[in-house]
Amino acid sequence: MDPFSILECLVLLAASCAGLIRYRRLGLSFRILTWSAVAVFTLTIIADISSAIYRTNALVLQIECITQYVFYSLTYYFIFKNNLVKKAIIISVVVISALFFINGVFLQSFNKDFPTNIYIPTQILYAAFSLLLFKEMLMYPVRINIIKQSVFWYNTAILFYGTTMFFILGIYNYMAAHNLDDNFIFVFWYIIIYAFNILMCIALLTENKKNSPADA
Amino acid sequence: MHDEGLRILVLLSIAFFFGITCFIIYFIILYRNKQLINKQEQEKLQATFRQELLKTQIEMQEQTLLHISREIHDNITQVLSFVKLDLAMASAADEKLKQTKINASRDLVAQAINDLRDLSKSLSFEHISQLGLVKTIEIETGRINKSGIIRAMLTTEGEAYSLGEQRDLVIFRIFQEALNNTLKHAGARQLKISLQYYPELFILTLEDDGDGFLPDLLEKGKGSGLKNMENRAALIGAQAAIDSSPGKGCYIKVTLNPLEQRLYADGYHPNRFG
Repeated sequence: MDPFSILECLVLLAASCAGLIRYRRLGLSFRILTWSAVAVFTLTIIADISSAIYRTNALVLQIECITQYVFYSLTYYFIFKNNLVKKAIIISVVVISALFFINGVFLQSFNKDFPTNIYIPTQILYAAFSLLLFKEMLMYPVRINIIKQSVFWYNTAILFYGTTMFFILGIYNYMAAHNLDDNFIFVFWYIIIYAFNILMCIALLTENKKNSPADA
Repeated sequence: MHDEGLRILVLLSIAFFFGITCFIIYFIILYRNKQLINKQEQEKLQATFRQELLKTQIEMQEQTLLHISREIHDNITQVLSFVKLDLAMASAADEKLKQTKINASRDLVAQAINDLRDLSKSLSFEHISQLGLVKTIEIETGRINKSGIIRAMLTTEGEAYSLGEQRDLVIFRIFQEALNNTLKHAGARQLKISLQYYPELFILTLEDDGDGFLPDLLEKGKGSGLKNMENRAALIGAQAAIDSSPGKGCYIKVTLNPLEQRLYADGYHPNRFG
């Protein structure tokens, strides 16, 4: 395990611990987020072990991709008040799950390839959900200082993750096509992962179901 | 060439991160402005509600004082005048007639004492919170029936619960206003009052068999008392529906969801996202 991976695990562990320690004070949506942090932490450890032993972690990354999408979508489902958006989220979970299996069987094998075909639509959906939630927050502002709203931190994390990962994938393809040094990409990748998990950690630390606009 | 490409990519990435950060900062500023506007609107609504509530309390007190002065003038003063007359006649009468007059005067004084006792329990807004809405309307109905002006029938359905002191007060004021309208303008002989208490719904209905009025009275602004009822109902989150036509009496229905929270009506509400 390289230092970047170790730091990634530590940040994930911090987010998981933040959620688990404060579990009773969390609303339903952030309890789901806590379990997503625990799941991603577990899968990251398994991915590193798999990489060391079997020289591939494609299968674990495939599972991680779909697991993340399901958890984050469910978190959004319980935050949104708009019924139309909630229905769209459920439909997207079903569609993405179906696409995941089709992609894994026919296009990007579960054992060998990273699921970029699934990654791209999920990142677009993350960005879309995030912008819709920002819009809903503006339409129905609550009295709590925005810095103390867990929904704001979670939404910022997802917007940041969804847009930057999409951008990074685009750059990676360009660099691969032009045989450019891709170390720069990995540095950026890790910065994004660290920032994302730190924002998730802040969301879990600021969440309090008594005052939270989510699950109201 | 490769270095140039890499430099461009790094700059693009930094610009992208910067763009996202600017968007987040812009959103925070926009949100804070919205919060401020929302807070000002809530304060305005609270002020309007407090004003309306005060107006309602004053009107009720005026109504009570009017009732008391009318009772004293029309009833108690008359009774005591009869007592004075009887006692004056008794002094010049023979023993048998004197005793009859004294007994009659004693009965009249007892009646006056009862009437004064009833007056002392006259309706004010504190009574509503002590007795509850149902009991208060019951007392008012009894008073109307005793006057003989109109025959009022009160029915209740379901287990009565408090809607909250302020809501009870406003509902009672709407009831009083509707009652006054019936007594003054309707020319009705019968008035049916119904209170229905369900877990998620409260309904007050008043139906009279009076002259009725044209439905466009409300739109033309001539029925300001009726408009007042609708506005007061809206203030506490209730809906008032008034239905009438000439010769068909008047039907007033006030419905309220007791579980619905209103910031300015209840003084506290959990922060709601939607």
